[in-house]
Amino acid sequence: MAEKKLTAEKKQVAEKKPVQAKKKKMSLHTKNSLKGLVFVSPFILGMLLFFIYPIILSIRLAFGSKVLLVGFQISGFTLDNFTRAISIDVEFLPIFAESVRNTLVQFPLIIVLSLIIAVLLNRDIKCRGLFRVIFFIPFLLGTGNVMQQLLNQGVDRAVLNIMDGKLIPYNVLSYFGTTIVDVVQTVLSVLVTVLWGCGVQILLFLSGLQSISGSLYEAARIDGATEWEIFWKVTVPMIAPMILLNMVYTVVDSLASITNPLLEYMKQKGYTEAQYAYGSAMGWMYFAFIGLLVAIIFVVMKGFIHTSEVEEVKKREHKHKVFTIERAPRRTFD
Amino acid sequence: MLKIKWFRGQWLHITFARVALYVVMIVMVCFTALPLVYLISTAFKPLDELFLYPPRFFVQNPTTKNFSDLVVSLGSSTVPFTRYAFNSLVNTITIVICTVIVSSMGAYSLVKLKPPGGVFLFNLILVALMFSPHVTKIPSYMVVNGLGLINTYGALILPNIAVAYNIFLIKQFMEQYPTELLEAARIDGAGEFRIFIQMVMPALKPATATLTVFSFVNNWNDYFSPLIYVTSQAMKTLPLALQTIGGGAAGMSVGRAGAVAAATFLMTAPTVIIFVIKQGQVMETMTYSGIKG
Repeated sequence: MAEKKLTAEKKQVAEKKPVQAKKKKMSLHTKNSLKGLVFVSPFILGMLLFFIYPIILSIRLAFGSKVLLVGFQISGFTLDNFTRAISIDVEFLPIFAESVRNTLVQFPLIIVLSLIIAVLLNRDIKCRGLFRVIFFIPFLLGTGNVMQQLLNQGVDRAVLNIMDGKLIPYNVLSYFGTTIVDVVQTVLSVLVTVLWGCGVQILLFLSGLQSISGSLYEAARIDGATEWEIFWKVTVPMIAPMILLNMVYTVVDSLASITNPLLEYMKQKGYTEAQYAYGSAMGWMYFAFIGLLVAIIFVVMKGFIHTSEVEEVKKREHKHKVFTIERAPRRTFD
Repeated sequence: MLKIKWFRGQWLHITFARVALYVVMIVMVCFTALPLVYLISTAFKPLDELFLYPPRFFVQNPTTKNFSDLVVSLGSSTVPFTRYAFNSLVNTITIVICTVIVSSMGAYSLVKLKPPGGVFLFNLILVALMFSPHVTKIPSYMVVNGLGLINTYGALILPNIAVAYNIFLIKQFMEQYPTELLEAARIDGAGEFRIFIQMVMPALKPATATLTVFSFVNNWNDYFSPLIYVTSQAMKTLPLALQTIGGGAAGMSVGRAGAVAAATFLMTAPTVIIFVIKQGQVMETMTYSGIKG
């Protein structure tokens, strides 16, 4: 469907061209940008219809004082919904804090663990494909429904039960005191949830790792770098863009997943109890928070990405332009 | 360091680091693979084992009764299980094909052709990334309703095509594609569309494979949009049907537990299959080596 539309538009452009050429020759620049618009137009159409327009409606819902659901007419302007969430609703703030705390605990663990696993998977080990598939399975099971069914059936408890008897020698550990046992148990249960949450991150890191050219490693080895130095000075700077992508993905994914307690609450208020306006007001506050978090990540990571020399060298080599030593003006995200 | 003669006259080098690597990997794999093992073994458990406490991991007396239960429990309703599966398949496959085409065209344009307003659009995509879909679901319902799409495949397909995350993913890969190749093609007289089809798309295969997997999994498991956009029984998809069999989100009805386990197993199978097929491609390196030679 999209293709058909595209060819049609293309034809229109082609028909227009000779006419315009008579009047005034189109510059290469305008011609190219016109072509660009043709290519991106299906996406813009989709965004307008199913993202931007609903968002405008949702803002009006959140600020509207009178909402008629039958004809969907909104009028007036109040901040009632927002003040209600903060000062009147006793449940909103604790649930909000809980969601944020969960995310902040898991976020660094997921990033570090998935980076380690990806680096290990990138070495030439046997059965690499099998390992990859297994790490990706929790994502395939679906973050929502199927996983929920499994948790209902007590799969996490079952995992720990299995571990109890066989894999971990608690008899030996108990000699060291109960705190050690406690620590081991907490670490294990966190590990399970974190490992189930990092399939996508491992995949993204892997594709980043694979695109690092081998010659860089070779050069580093010839210069006498150890594996540890190579990891910090070649691998990490080279996959910095992927780290950024992964951080954003992780934060958004864990804050906006269906199993998140705050979203459960919003769903209950917004849909089950049909208080759409209140639901979208809470949604907007939540979104503002996520936006702030992501903005912080971007600012912090941006400095990190740009100061890396290897990256610059690679970019220069990559673009084959030796004269770009003075930095070209950058766009927002390059 | 140990040297062992391997078959075909090769030497297997065993070093401490290598052994440690495998041990770490296997422990992590144990943790990760357990849900799937549990899922499969639950699907074949007879009723008395399903409610054992503490739950047992492996099935003792495997039966296929759960699957026949599933067929029977759904046979009484007017819509057969295959209809849900068909709905899910049609929706998901259409979405995946459309979103791959639309996202790669958009990303190509944003990165290489730089249309007016491209920077603004990209910032918009970044904002859209952080949006929880829940906030806009009710207004989206109004849009879909206005287009007269309620209870059609269109309602499930169209809103899921232009997704910000998809174009963001392809864009990350597209930036590695050398502009010199495009310039060379343009000098040789290739049209923009031809360049896109014959040069960019083949080079983007790893990216599109990744996107295919992501999009397939997400939409196959999508529970929210059919819940909102669809009211007729015949248009429901698998996740929704699964919920119905289970007797709602809160608790499972006891009698149907076996059928739910079987349905969960059946629902997971396609996603695992598509990943196993595509995983080789997903891992391929990008061909920005086109210049490296």
